Amino acid sequence: MIRPVRAARFRPGDAVRVPNVEKKGHVRTPAYVKGKHGYVTAVLGEFPDPESLAYGGAGLPEKPLYRVRFRQADLWQGYGGPPDDTLHVDIYEHWLEPASEEG
Amino acid sequence: MSENGHDEHGHEHPHEESGHEGSPWAARIRAVEELLAERGILTHEEVEAQIGYMEARSYENGARLVAHAWTDPGFKELLLRDTKAACSQLGIDASGTVEFVTVENTPTTHNLIVCTLCSCYPRAILGRPPDWYKSPAYRSRAVVEPRAVMKEFGLEIPEDVSVSVHDSSADVRYLVLPMRPPGTEGMTEEELAGLVSRNCLVGTAVPQYKARERASS
Amino acid sequence: MSGIHDMGGRREEFGPVDKSQHELEDWERLADAVNYVLNAKGHKTTDEMRRAIESLEHYREMSYYERWAAAAETLVVEKGLLTREEIDERAAALERRWENG
Repeated sequence: MIRPVRAARFRPGDAVRVPNVEKKGHVRTPAYVKGKHGYVTAVLGEFPDPESLAYGGAGLPEKPLYRVRFRQADLWQGYGGPPDDTLHVDIYEHWLEPASEEG
Repeated sequence: MSENGHDEHGHEHPHEESGHEGSPWAARIRAVEELLAERGILTHEEVEAQIGYMEARSYENGARLVAHAWTDPGFKELLLRDTKAACSQLGIDASGTVEFVTVENTPTTHNLIVCTLCSCYPRAILGRPPDWYKSPAYRSRAVVEPRAVMKEFGLEIPEDVSVSVHDSSADVRYLVLPMRPPGTEGMTEEELAGLVSRNCLVGTAVPQYKARERASS
Repeated sequence: MSGIHDMGGRREEFGPVDKSQHELEDWERLADAVNYVLNAKGHKTTDEMRRAIESLEHYREMSYYERWAAAAETLVVEKGLLTREEIDERAAALERRWENG
């Protein structure tokens, strides 16, 4: 953890899914993880909300930010590397929902 | 002007980082800066100081962090746990609102850093990112085919080593702590830092050392 | 559809990574520094800057620091610090001075 966090919804090891939704305007969730399943590996802390900051807002309330690990094979059809290759993306809490273990 | 430079009319898919000599933005940003200074919103001195600040930063800061971590296990632990604190211990000013995380290469994992949404980079530590890091080709491919991209940089990661790609999508900037190459046991910290190129800190290279006595074998 | 800046996995951008490096020009250093100073003084945020860059109509045709310069201009106008007209006027005057200089 880099910054303190008051109430984090997820913990390291939790299975999560990035909702496959379109949101107009500035977001920091890359399109390629939308609808994909991964696992939380770290709670990085609470950070101002970029979707508010981007339009002159104060970024409040701050959002917990997580590092989420995805299997490359789950992100890209026909991924060419070994099955253990992973991809890590930092995702704000409102862009995550709980997922079942079997994904 | 790079060999891939293009004319100022902006053809489709130009080389991302041609110098754009004669760019219309050269005059426009100067105009903005002059006008802001006249209004007292900023001063030329502040702008010059900021230019100086960035010019003074380079990947050599990262090389120093790595070399010190290789020689001091306590410092390595600190670097991986709290990169800002590690920087400040070496007199590198990484204060500010941006956070930094150092990820460690191990015999079983190799790390590669990218920012697909823009070009986030640990600038306060390493200076401005190289042009290739900002290129659409790198940003689009590094997440999908990291091994192929690294191969283009001359780095082949064995199949039994997993590749972890980090997309710096938010408030954290990543840098890589590479593995210390074998045969470097007697080297000074300064010599060790000399083995760490900028690309080693992003993951498109790893430090190499060929001992002289082994070079002929 | 995601924005043009959202490049992860975007197949139409695939191609060899060009590893050549260009020497920064003065105006590129200026674009870099003006943005940082405006952020440091609380006139705008990195997130506004990213939003302004992503919204550029000619994003894909612009170089990195052209985007920075354009986004800085967007934001100082948006925030009422400067007007587009006075920037146009001053830029034209600078161009004339440089041509004669």
